[in-house]
Amino acid sequence: MSELKVDKVSPRSGTYVSLNTVGSKNIIINGDMSIAQRGTSATGLGNGDSGYHTVDRFKFVENNAPTCEFTQTQSTDVPTGQGFATSLKMDCTTAQGSLAGDDFIYINTSAEGQNLQYLKKGTANALSLTLSFWVKSNKTGTYIFEIIDRDNDRAISKSYTISSASTWEKKTITLDGDTTGTLDNDNARSFEIIFWLLAGANFQSGTLQTSWNTRTTANDAVGQVNLADNTANEWFITGVQLEAGTTASDFEFLPYDVNLRRCYRYCYRINGNAVDDVLTGGAGPATTTSRIDTAIQFLVPMRAIPSVSEALLEVYPGSTAGSLGSIFDNDGTKDITTIGFQINADSGSPFTLNNFYLVRCDANASAFIEFDAEL
Amino acid sequence: MINSVEKIYRPDNSGKFCFKVIDTNNKIIFVPNNKTNRHYQAIQEWIAAGNTVIDNGGNS
Repeated sequence: MSELKVDKVSPRSGTYVSLNTVGSKNIIINGDMSIAQRGTSATGLGNGDSGYHTVDRFKFVENNAPTCEFTQTQSTDVPTGQGFATSLKMDCTTAQGSLAGDDFIYINTSAEGQNLQYLKKGTANALSLTLSFWVKSNKTGTYIFEIIDRDNDRAISKSYTISSASTWEKKTITLDGDTTGTLDNDNARSFEIIFWLLAGANFQSGTLQTSWNTRTTANDAVGQVNLADNTANEWFITGVQLEAGTTASDFEFLPYDVNLRRCYRYCYRINGNAVDDVLTGGAGPATTTSRIDTAIQFLVPMRAIPSVSEALLEVYPGSTAGSLGSIFDNDGTKDITTIGFQINADSGSPFTLNNFYLVRCDANASAFIEFDAEL
Repeated sequence: MINSVEKIYRPDNSGKFCFKVIDTNNKIIFVPNNKTNRHYQAIQEWIAAGNTVIDNGGNS
């Protein structure tokens, strides 16, 4: 039997944070952009389209009424030899050379306070943070990254420069720990992590706030270029990692299934396909001739009681696709929780009492049921 | 962006309800009456901006 003898175990040089290194050191979920439950492309994103469209956990956010539009894509354009297979791409399709004061567009991702307690924010022992990511754009110049502490209305912004057009560049940004403002220990959004793409004057008329302080919107994105000033503009990002400490470690690649399950906490979507019907997991009896009671159990407990949307669901046998659309009964106290969803389906009186039925997506690529508990 | 919001009551006359939201892209989302849900929070902001939830009562 082999034996290992050591005289001393010492921490490695530099700042090394031992906390939270079992499991995931990366505060960002899906930083390699590998999970895209909602789809791989969304067009016409501009005024009125804030929301999650393609890559999981990364949200398109706009303010005011910008006239520009973007296509968002889960792209396979990635930095060579770094191990990434996907990136998030924003492609300007309608230009807006002049921005109104309140216009902005950014990409964000958010983190729950209960997952950030180890940062010791709001104490004298608050940990520094280091962000690393790969980025590419034909539009060179200054871009802004920002974290907003939504519990305490505090913020810190840092600039990064895209210096070589259409070339993947790795960026590393270190942020001091914040000794003010403890984060709530709950499932709500504490950190909003922002990559600015364009900002009107009301968000960049001050001085970039490069240290933690009370948020001032005029200081949010000072110097940010306007990615929408030409339809030739595009911006890619992948390998986003935010970790405790002052150095950027290698990107933490997770197995696909682990990454997917982490995303399921915030969005669980069952997609149809054009080839065959897809089971949703919902199956149960007709309790009246006009009603079946069935349930879908989530694979991972969701962050909060989710919203529900669907298209082209059907009950099998005996009903046509789309017949369930108006009868979801999810008041949040009985029929839907963070672990499952009871469907009370009523589509006229097509059912035979006590017969058994399945709820499934029609054989159509547009069919889906989605549970959304995003931040 | 929200276009309209309607309360959808349970059929058991309990008075419990969810919200049926139609956004400006005509997407329908059923939103639980629960403050931790982000769509619920968006509805509250939409109401605060002067909009009105359609409420046809619990027995319709």
